[in-house]
Amino acid sequence: MSQWMTLFQKEILEMWRNFKWIWVPITFILLGVSEPVSSYYLPQIIKSFGGLPEGAIIDIPPPTAGAVLASGLSQYSTLGVLIIVLSTMGVIAGERKSGVAAMILVKPVFYLSYVTSKWAGSLLLVWFSLFIGYLSTWYYTGQLFDWVAFSDFLQSFVLYGLWLTVVLSITVFFSSALLAPGMAGFISLALTLVVSIFSGALSHLLEWSPAQLTSYASGLLSAGELPEHAMPASILSILVIILLLWLSVFLFKKKELAA
Amino acid sequence: MSLIQIQGVKKSFQGNEVIKGLDYNLEKGKCIALLGPNGAGKTTTLRMLSGIMKPTKGSITFSDAKKDGDIRHLIGYLPQFPVFYDWMSGIEFLQYVGKLAGLTNKEAKERSIELLELVGISDAKNRRVGKYSGGMKQRLGIAQAIIHRPQLVMLDEPVSALDPFGRREVLELLEGLKKETTILFSTHILNDAEEVCDEILFLHNGEIVESGTMEDLRERHQQAKIDLIFRKKTADMESTFKNHTLTQSILVDGNRISVFVTNVEQARKGFLKLISENDWQLDKFEISSMTLEDVFMKVVGK
Amino acid sequence: MELLEGINWGLLAPLFIIQLILLIVSLVDLSRIEKTNGPKLLWVFIIIFVNIIGPILYFVIGRRND
Repeated sequence: MSQWMTLFQKEILEMWRNFKWIWVPITFILLGVSEPVSSYYLPQIIKSFGGLPEGAIIDIPPPTAGAVLASGLSQYSTLGVLIIVLSTMGVIAGERKSGVAAMILVKPVFYLSYVTSKWAGSLLLVWFSLFIGYLSTWYYTGQLFDWVAFSDFLQSFVLYGLWLTVVLSITVFFSSALLAPGMAGFISLALTLVVSIFSGALSHLLEWSPAQLTSYASGLLSAGELPEHAMPASILSILVIILLLWLSVFLFKKKELAA
Repeated sequence: MSLIQIQGVKKSFQGNEVIKGLDYNLEKGKCIALLGPNGAGKTTTLRMLSGIMKPTKGSITFSDAKKDGDIRHLIGYLPQFPVFYDWMSGIEFLQYVGKLAGLTNKEAKERSIELLELVGISDAKNRRVGKYSGGMKQRLGIAQAIIHRPQLVMLDEPVSALDPFGRREVLELLEGLKKETTILFSTHILNDAEEVCDEILFLHNGEIVESGTMEDLRERHQQAKIDLIFRKKTADMESTFKNHTLTQSILVDGNRISVFVTNVEQARKGFLKLISENDWQLDKFEISSMTLEDVFMKVVGK
Repeated sequence: MELLEGINWGLLAPLFIIQLILLIVSLVDLSRIEKTNGPKLLWVFIIIFVNIIGPILYFVIGRRND
């Protein structure tokens, strides 16, 4: 356990030294908050710069607070996912490529600890950033539109966090299975995209797909209650995460450290 | 007492056999040099012994391995080009590795300070490793290899990246380390091996072509050698010496001809006579026993 | 201007501040780091002139993570 903590602390420290603890949360804040801010000010901007003919009335009904919050959240499933994948794709592949993994793993370090500590470090960063970013979005939506119940906010936060954790685990998996960070990132993104598209297109068949968690989160925000399949989808996500981690360790162990 | 048993170890990369069969018993408390020209398979051998590569065939058995075969607590390893986390300082890296190897916080700190002193980079301990020079990285690499006081320290070309001054220091460091632990280090420079080690393993084309203690090797290859240096070498010299009845073999290097002979006394007389008869301009005539370098050249077949 | 009056500056100011923090942090990191993907000077321009996205692009693509 103390060895795991040493490895974990190193991950946390590294993310301080390369400013991940600053830039990822800030990016998540800006991504999310841009949604309520622009949908609030956009009609006004159009009105004052639009040069619309006299008498033309733009009547865009103001969106509901739930819809604004949901579209803020959806930023995280596109740009958020991109940032998560690109910033974690090298977490294991990069260390193995540079050779530092061999330096560390000729010491009596458990492979399980090595892989999971890296996963856990990234996990903490993702959940922290998502929380800060989404909380700000919730606050700005409340200020500019209407307040969404905090419990709805929390539940949708957890659903989204779970999906992003699946994405993170996929990235960690390819990072430990492949030697090139770029390739790991590319395949992770492609896989995430394919899963999302399929789950969206076949939503009535793939109700338990982890990718559905994003639509369940927005469903929760608009309807105010937890969608029916949110629970099984969450449980399946957790199982998928565990399986991916186990496979990561298994594959990583089998590979030779020196290429 | 035997520390490692290496039996029939082979290693191929994409069908290309790099290690063609190693059999060796590595004994405790020795300092052994793995000597061979570039491409002989030294690095691959050390990588297999440290466990970061697996042999294609054969077995490597540590007598003190854990039940699951883990040997990493027993060994310290320095790769030829050590890599660190560039964003850490030297002392941070040592403490990190020390704790991973099972030292407590306090032990890791004390041991790091002690080792930084020992390898001579105390002044730079708080500097980021990314700013270290090649020599400093090598020293930090040695420190990280021995931080947990392993039974066996394996160093891959520990001195070849260093300037002559640094080489001197690191060799002295190894000399001191010899008292505490078993050392196996690879080098292509014979002098380095001769200086610190008791035992030598000659590796050539993936095979151990010769091994033993310095004395063993000298004894086994004891032959008189006559070095002849001429002002100008003519074509017939080489063949004349080569075909001389007392000659076993010759080595030619520029204007120098080294002749290995069976009977020194007869050879001296014979050669001198031959030289004066032909009126060859001789600069130097020296009789010596074979050096390790000669053994090296001979086993490598040059 | 009607538009400017309608803007709640108290609400927007924090966003400008964290954006500024992001800009400064990326410049600090750029000055410390040894190598970037692509010329360093290019990244200075991207960070300063490409609003918000510039610093993020730098961290995601420009920074060479080993």
